[in-house]
Amino acid sequence: MPGIPGIALWYHEAMNPTHTSKQQIDREAIPSLYLHVPFCASICYYCDFARQIYRRETVDAWLKAIQTELESVQPSHSLETIYIGGGTPSSLSEDQLETLLCLLDSYRTETKEYTVELNPETVSEEKLNCLKRHGVNRLSIGIQSGDEALLARMNRKHTKADIHRLVVQINACGFSNISMDLIYGLPNETMKQVEADLNYVLDLKPTHLSLYSLSIEPGSVFGKQGVQPIDEDLEAEMYESIVRRLLQEGYEHYEVSNFARPGKQSIHNRNVWQYKDFIGIGYGAWGKEGNVRYDHAGSLQAYLKNPCYREKVLLSDLERQFETLMMGLRLSEGVFLKQYQEQFGCLPADTFPVSIAKGIRRGYLEEEKDMLRCTGQGMELLNSILVEFMEEAEV
Amino acid sequence: MDQKHIRNFCIIAHIDHGKSTLADRILELTETVSERDMKAQLLDEMDLERERGITIKLNAVQLKYKAENGEEYLFNLIDTPGHVDFSYEVSRSLAACEGAVLVVDATQGVQAQTLANTYLALDNDLEILPVINKIDMNNAMPEEVKQEIESIIGLDCSDAPLISARTGLNVESVLEQIVTKIPSPSGDPSHPLQALVFDSFYDSYRGVIALIRIREGSLSVGDKVRLMATGAEYEVTELGIRNPREVPLQTLQCGDVGWFAASIKSIQDVRVGDTVTLASSPADVPLEGYRKMNPMVYCGLYPSDAAKYEDLHEALDKLKLNDASLQYEPETSQALGFGFRCGFLGLLHMDVIQERLEREYDLDLICTAPSVIYKVFLTDGTVLEIDNPAKMPDASKIDHIEEPYVKADIMTSDAYIGAVMELCANKRGIYSGMDVIDNGRNMLTYEMPLSEIIYDFFDRLKSCSKGYASLDYELIGYRKEDLVRMDILLNGETVDALSVIIHRSEAYQRGSGITIRLKELIPRQQFEIPVQAAIGGKVIARTNIKSLRKNVLAKCYGGDISRKRKLLEKQKEGKKRMKAVGSVVIPQEAFMSVLSMDDNDRR
Repeated sequence: MPGIPGIALWYHEAMNPTHTSKQQIDREAIPSLYLHVPFCASICYYCDFARQIYRRETVDAWLKAIQTELESVQPSHSLETIYIGGGTPSSLSEDQLETLLCLLDSYRTETKEYTVELNPETVSEEKLNCLKRHGVNRLSIGIQSGDEALLARMNRKHTKADIHRLVVQINACGFSNISMDLIYGLPNETMKQVEADLNYVLDLKPTHLSLYSLSIEPGSVFGKQGVQPIDEDLEAEMYESIVRRLLQEGYEHYEVSNFARPGKQSIHNRNVWQYKDFIGIGYGAWGKEGNVRYDHAGSLQAYLKNPCYREKVLLSDLERQFETLMMGLRLSEGVFLKQYQEQFGCLPADTFPVSIAKGIRRGYLEEEKDMLRCTGQGMELLNSILVEFMEEAEV
Repeated sequence: MDQKHIRNFCIIAHIDHGKSTLADRILELTETVSERDMKAQLLDEMDLERERGITIKLNAVQLKYKAENGEEYLFNLIDTPGHVDFSYEVSRSLAACEGAVLVVDATQGVQAQTLANTYLALDNDLEILPVINKIDMNNAMPEEVKQEIESIIGLDCSDAPLISARTGLNVESVLEQIVTKIPSPSGDPSHPLQALVFDSFYDSYRGVIALIRIREGSLSVGDKVRLMATGAEYEVTELGIRNPREVPLQTLQCGDVGWFAASIKSIQDVRVGDTVTLASSPADVPLEGYRKMNPMVYCGLYPSDAAKYEDLHEALDKLKLNDASLQYEPETSQALGFGFRCGFLGLLHMDVIQERLEREYDLDLICTAPSVIYKVFLTDGTVLEIDNPAKMPDASKIDHIEEPYVKADIMTSDAYIGAVMELCANKRGIYSGMDVIDNGRNMLTYEMPLSEIIYDFFDRLKSCSKGYASLDYELIGYRKEDLVRMDILLNGETVDALSVIIHRSEAYQRGSGITIRLKELIPRQQFEIPVQAAIGGKVIARTNIKSLRKNVLAKCYGGDISRKRKLLEKQKEGKKRMKAVGSVVIPQEAFMSVLSMDDNDRR
C-alpha cells in the first residue's frame, strides 16, 4: 500500500533502532485485540465514545479501512482474546457483520474468549448465527435498565420485550457466556428502582454483570444538558447494596463494577486491568504496546483516509508503574507484586512509599500473599488513593 | 504651544453615567485616535477594567482641538476612576486640572457619587462644566435633571450641553465650553520647577515612569530632578506626552501634563503625590493638596504554593508602583504560612488587586476575609491597632475595643426606603436622618461600623433596591463596641486565618452561619471533620463534614486510560489549589466565607 505508512515504519519513527526488532517480536506476544465499531442506530445520552449514526455507505468504507489496518498491523495468529465493542457492533447489517468477522477469522485459531457487544433492538437471529459461525463465544448485552422510564431517559430504543426476545434467541443459538450491562444512579433514581433493575437482570440469568454508576461525561448529551450526579451517599448505598446482593446470588465481585459466575470473569478485560499489552483496531480504539499507547486519526473521515495512522503517547517508566496500579487495584485480587518487580525492577512501595503506608494504615490497602490490593472500603475511594500516588511521585 | 492655549481637565461622573464613552468620543472628534484604532473605551487599558466596565487606573491624554475661534488648543484629558473606593485617585487627578466636565445621566439624574465627586472638584477650586448625557434614551429627562443639578448642587445649567456620548450628538459643544469656560493653567515658566506626580507605572526597560503636571517652571531631558518628599535625585532620560501612545519630547512646559523616566529603579523613591523639582534650583516648598491615603480594609494574601512567596512579593512591589494606596507587609499564619497583610482603600480595590495578581502575575492566591483596623485598649493602658483578627490579644488583657464608624449617605427612591432601612439595621446601622431631595428621591444617612460595609453591603444594597440606590461613605471616627474574636476550629485545631472579630450580640448566629457555610465549601475528605466556632475556648456552634464515601471511576477499560488519567489529574490539580491546614484540605474561597452570609443566616 504505497503512501500509507506501515506499522514497521511507524516503529522506526517512534523508537530507536535497537528496540525495533524487540518490539516486533513482542507483537507476536500481544494477547488481546480490541476492535471498535463506531456506529450506532441511535445515540445514548450517557455515551461519549467515538460513535455516529449508522450509514450503510460509511460502514462499507470503514470495513475497507479496517481490512487495511489489520493487514498492516499483522496481529498474532494466536490471540488469546478478541473484543469487538462500540458503538454498537450489532448495528451493522448481516452482510457487513459477516465481512467484519471474516477479516478476523485468521487470528482466532487459539482464541479463548471472543466477545461482541450487542444492543437488544439491533440483533436478529441471522446476526447471532453469523457470530456463532465465526467463533464468537461471549456476548455482552447493553440492557442498562429494566425500567422503561429510565430507558427513555437515557435515549435507549429497546423495550423489555426486545430483551426477552433476544434472550430466547441467544439461548436457541447455543451461546452460554452472556454478560449484561446496567447503569444506576440516574437523576432521581431511587434505591427501589435499583433493586428492581437488579431483580430484573438476575432473572435473565447472565453469567457476567457490569454495573456502572452513571458518570456524566462532558462530551455526552447528559454532560451538555448539565445533568448533575446524584447524592454521593445514596450512590454509595446503591453500590454497596448491589455488591451485597450479587455476592449472595453467587457472583464473584472481581472488579470495581464487574461481577461473574465462577470461571466466567472476562479474560480480555482482566488482561487490560493487569496492564498487559493489547492491540487497538479502528477509529475510536486505543491500544498499548510496551511503552507506547496509541489511538487513531482524530475523526472517522481522517481514519478512512489513513487507517494506519496512530496518535502515540510515550509512557515513562513512572507512568507505567502508576497505570499498573491505577488499573490493577480495580481488581479485587489486586496487583501481583512479583510481576510488578520483574517489569519495573522495584516494588510499588519503593515508588509510592508514603501513600501506600498511609493507605494500609487507614485500612484502604492491604498486602497479602505477594499481592497489593484494595480493601472493600479502599476500592470505593480508589481515586483519592490514586491522586495521592500522583502527588507523591509527581506522575 | 503657549500656556494660554492649554486646557487641563478631567471628567467626573457617577458610575455608569458615561464618562469613559464621552472620553472616547472626544478622542475621536479631535482625531487623536483614528476610528480604526478605536477600541471602545480606549482609556481603560487593562482587560480587567474593560470587563468590569469601570476605570481603575488613571490615564492622561493630550489632544489638539481647533476651536470655532480658529485657534488651536492643547487639551490634556485626565481620566478618573468612577468608584467610591477610589475617591483618593479622583482627588489626585483633580489636583492636576483646572476644570472638570461633570457628566450626569439624563435618565438617572444626580446620584451619590455625582455629589461626592462634585464636592471634591469644588474643594480643588475647579471650574465645573455640567453635561447632560444619554439624551437619546427614551426615558431621558434632561430638563428635570438640569433643574436637579441646579437645586441640589447649585451649578448653573442654563447652557449645559445635552449630549449623547454613545452617538456623538453635541459632543462638540462640550469641547467648545472647555475652551471658553475652563481657565488656562497659571504658573510661571521662569519659576523653579514644581511638578505634581499624579500617577506612576513600572516599565521593565526604563524603570518607573511618572505621570506629572508641571505647575511651575519647566522640565527637560538631561535635567537632574529631586523628588521632594524622599529627597531622591535622578537624571531625566526621557520625557513626553501621551496621545494616548507615548510621544517623546525634549521639554515639558509650565501647564503641561506628561511623563518622564529617569532610570528610577527604587520603588520607594517615587511617591504618588510628591513634588518633582530641579536639584540645581529647587522650589522652596512642595505643592499642597496631596494627602497620604490610608487603607481602610485589610486582608491576608498568601500564595497557595508556598514556593511562590517571593513571586508574590515582587508582584506586590510592582503593583505598588501604579498604586499609591496599596500597602502591605509580611505576615505569618500558622495555617497559611508566609504571606502579606495588605491594606486597601475598599473592597473593590481589594478585588482588583487580587485579580491583577492572579491574572497578570499568574499567582494562585488565598485571601483571608477582609478586616478593618480595631483599636484595642489593654488593661495596662497600652493601645494596639489590630488589622488581623488572629492578632487580637487574650480577652483577659483587654479593657475595651473600638472600631471605625462611617457616615453612609444612601440615595434611593421612595419604593426602596423600607428595604434599605432594614438592610442598614441588619448591618448595625444607626439612623441619623433622611432628606427628601425631590419628587420621590431621598438621601438616607446612617452611621454604621465600617466592618459591616466592607463585605457585601454594596451587593445587598443593589439587590434590595433593584439597582436604584447609590452609596457614598466617609470615615467619622472610632467608637467603643462590645466586640469579640471568634475562632474557627477544623478537626479540633484553630485555623488562625479564619478568625473573625464580631459583635458579641451576633456571635451565635454568625458562628452557626459560618460553620454551615464551611461545611458546604470544604469537600468531603477521607475522615470526618468537626467544624466548630468558639469564643475564648468556648464552642458556640458546631457541625460535621462527613467523610468521603465513594470516589472511584465506574468504568476504566483499555480505551479509557488516557482520559481517566486526565480526570485524576484534574482532581489532583483541584487539591493543589486548596490549602492543607493540618490534615484538612481547604479550598481558597473558604477563607473569605467567614464574612459571606445569606439573608437567612442573619435572622
